[in-house]
Amino acid sequence: MRSLTLHLKVLITILVLLGVTVTCYQIFILGIPVTEDETDDLWNIDAKVEFVASPKDPVKIQMFVPPLNRDYVSLNESFISNNYGVSVNRTDGNRKVTWSARRASGNQTLYYRLVLTKRYSTEKAKIKGPTFRDSLAVEGPEKIAAEALMAPIRQHSADVETFVSETIKRVNNANDDNAKLLLAGDNSPMKKAQVIDLLLSIAHVPMEKVHTIRLVADTPQSPELWLRSFNGNAWLYFNPETGEQGLPSDRLLWWTGDENLITVDGGKKATVTFSMNNSEMNAIRLAKLTDENTDADFLEYSLYGLPLQTQQTFMIMVMIPIGVLVILVLRNLIGIQTLGTFTPVLIALAFRETQLGFGIVLFTVITALGLSLRSYLEHLKLQMLPRLSVVLTFVVVLIAAISLFSHKLGLERGLSVALFPMVILTMTIERLSITWEERGGGHAMKVAVGTLFAASLAHLLMTVPEAVYFVFTFPAVLLILVGFMLAMGRYRGYRLTELVRFKAFLKKADA
Amino acid sequence: MFGLIKTWKALEARGIMGINRRNADYVLKYNKRHLYPIVDDKIITKERALAAGIHVPEMYGIIETEKEIEKLDEIIGGRSDFVIKPAQGAGGDGILVVADRFEDRYRTVSGKIISHEEIEHQISSILTGLYSLGGHRDRALIEYRVTPDQIFKSISYEGVPDIRIIVLMGYPVMAMLRLPTRQSGGKANLHQGAIGVGVDLATGVTLRGTWLNRIISKHPDTTNAVDGVQLPNWDGFMKLAASCYELCGLGYIGVDMVLDQDKGPLILELNARPGLNIQIANDCGLTQRTHAIEAHIEALAKDGVSEDAETRVRVAQGLFGHVVQQ
Repeated sequence: MRSLTLHLKVLITILVLLGVTVTCYQIFILGIPVTEDETDDLWNIDAKVEFVASPKDPVKIQMFVPPLNRDYVSLNESFISNNYGVSVNRTDGNRKVTWSARRASGNQTLYYRLVLTKRYSTEKAKIKGPTFRDSLAVEGPEKIAAEALMAPIRQHSADVETFVSETIKRVNNANDDNAKLLLAGDNSPMKKAQVIDLLLSIAHVPMEKVHTIRLVADTPQSPELWLRSFNGNAWLYFNPETGEQGLPSDRLLWWTGDENLITVDGGKKATVTFSMNNSEMNAIRLAKLTDENTDADFLEYSLYGLPLQTQQTFMIMVMIPIGVLVILVLRNLIGIQTLGTFTPVLIALAFRETQLGFGIVLFTVITALGLSLRSYLEHLKLQMLPRLSVVLTFVVVLIAAISLFSHKLGLERGLSVALFPMVILTMTIERLSITWEERGGGHAMKVAVGTLFAASLAHLLMTVPEAVYFVFTFPAVLLILVGFMLAMGRYRGYRLTELVRFKAFLKKADA
Repeated sequence: MFGLIKTWKALEARGIMGINRRNADYVLKYNKRHLYPIVDDKIITKERALAAGIHVPEMYGIIETEKEIEKLDEIIGGRSDFVIKPAQGAGGDGILVVADRFEDRYRTVSGKIISHEEIEHQISSILTGLYSLGGHRDRALIEYRVTPDQIFKSISYEGVPDIRIIVLMGYPVMAMLRLPTRQSGGKANLHQGAIGVGVDLATGVTLRGTWLNRIISKHPDTTNAVDGVQLPNWDGFMKLAASCYELCGLGYIGVDMVLDQDKGPLILELNARPGLNIQIANDCGLTQRTHAIEAHIEALAKDGVSEDAETRVRVAQGLFGHVVQQ
């Protein structure tokens, strides 16, 4: 007996550990969201290109599009353009779309649409970048001003990072005459970037211009200029106007380099307007969408890998152990009496179709009517099987009548009854009537109420959406449940109702 | 909440056994599943008992099929009183006790007049498994109606009082006299409203009783005191109960016996899952007694000896007998 207990303890420990480990692995390593409410932003970016085509020349428009090599994952990308040929090519880490047409005239509108999300990106590729470059040629007073600026910058910096931010700070200092001279009265970010570039080139610090789009919904915007430098390990991003370091997480890198966003051959007045909106999507569904683009293949081995129809069934099935657990606790810990062992779970499943309140009413009505029929049949002295058949048929007729009646009354809810398991109802009626005869009405009522209560509780717990999601996503939780059930199998303590039942002892002891 | 914990602790201290403990530590541990049919089927129990020379009520006949119901008259013969039972019934359900004939009809022990058709319907219900555990087909058993000893006249209402002794590995641990009441309809089952009265294992003198989970000392129908009654032939009952271990092989059973006016102690049935109300009737928890027996058996096992029924009775009487009531 002792060894059996030890055996059981080991078994429970293994099951619980296994369940916890697998679940933790899913949550922490695979990063599967714990609740269904956990959603991810889905960004929908539209770039609208407008220009006026020259009537005679062939048209060729080139525009940068995001290279998507950072944290973002593209779900869908489309180039909407009538009568234009489209090609996309990569150059120097940038991506460029080329629209071309032999003949076009008048106002032209082209669209580029990108749907992207941040999550489930692949491992970051090894980042490469230049760490050295030649100085840009600079002559005359600019050279002197630049060198004058360089000296304190060198003094105040320790590495690439501090060097760049110090440079940006100096250039942005409106009181610095050297900076003023270099800027030559142009305070645009573009000019500043150019000056910073010049200064850094003297120190052989590589620098790149980065054009970003901010992911903010419903605000029209134009690309924002950032600077970046490679320190040997990673790109460091700087705001050319403030010296602020680090790219905010809502920036999407669109292209790098000095070129303009768009170049148009055979057209003029080219403008690009960005508009974006975001929507939210369930994280899991999103992960499935990005499946082809990313390594969301861990979902392959979960229940999400099943066809949708089967998934629906499993969502119900994985909750049955929860319902059984409720019955187990109610019966063995609390001591509530129910009809049969798993009848309440079956009734709880039936409640899925009818909703709880209506289900209880229906259950009560049909059972009450069935009981009266059963007591009438008692007088006829029928054998059990024919009697059960009659009751079952009566239940079917009753359900049909209720469905018809409620349909006529316009209560669509009544139609859901059709799936209320009739056999369960019949057996409930039969057992209840036997209980009634043998143990009296009071006991039968107690059992019926206990059954309804257990079924309702099981139903409520089985339909908590968070719980359904959790168990369905992390089925290993069921192992933990089994561990608990095994432990319950050796539970020797009192049931709650026994405390009441044996109260007589205590009264005696007190007296 | 705090009150509940206090109740829990108090019950535990008194060694009151709960259903979970009974199932886990006794029923599951001592009762081998394959031996259940012996106690679940009263016909098998009876055959076994007869083979072992243990007294049981005489069996008049068995009805196994609907066709055989026709033979009912033949089985009853000229007898005016008999009992019809489902062989695998539980909790005394489905038992029909016919006390007398009244013209063409029968009178049950509670005075209800029923027709021959109603009896046939009852048998048919039994055969279809209405009263059997698990609901499968059953057999109907027609047997001798026990006439209770006159001693019970004053403290029982109709029906047959019976004596339940809980036997652990052949050692009687607790005994109770079950008295039918008006509410129980002549049946001796506590959950149907019968009274349970504790019995001193050594002397066979009744103690106080339990009725509907309350402690009482008078019969609600006859208002006679139920305690202090000396049960006749007590050692006979004890020996009968103890020998049931050899009969069925189950380690934890409730033995139901009756005292017939003419035939003395008879075994009615064995129960592999005896109820716990016997504790209230005796105002004593089962756990301490079962632990004492288990310790005794362990000590015997060390010496490699086992005891016969008579010795076991004496051991149990020595351990648990002579209860002093407050």
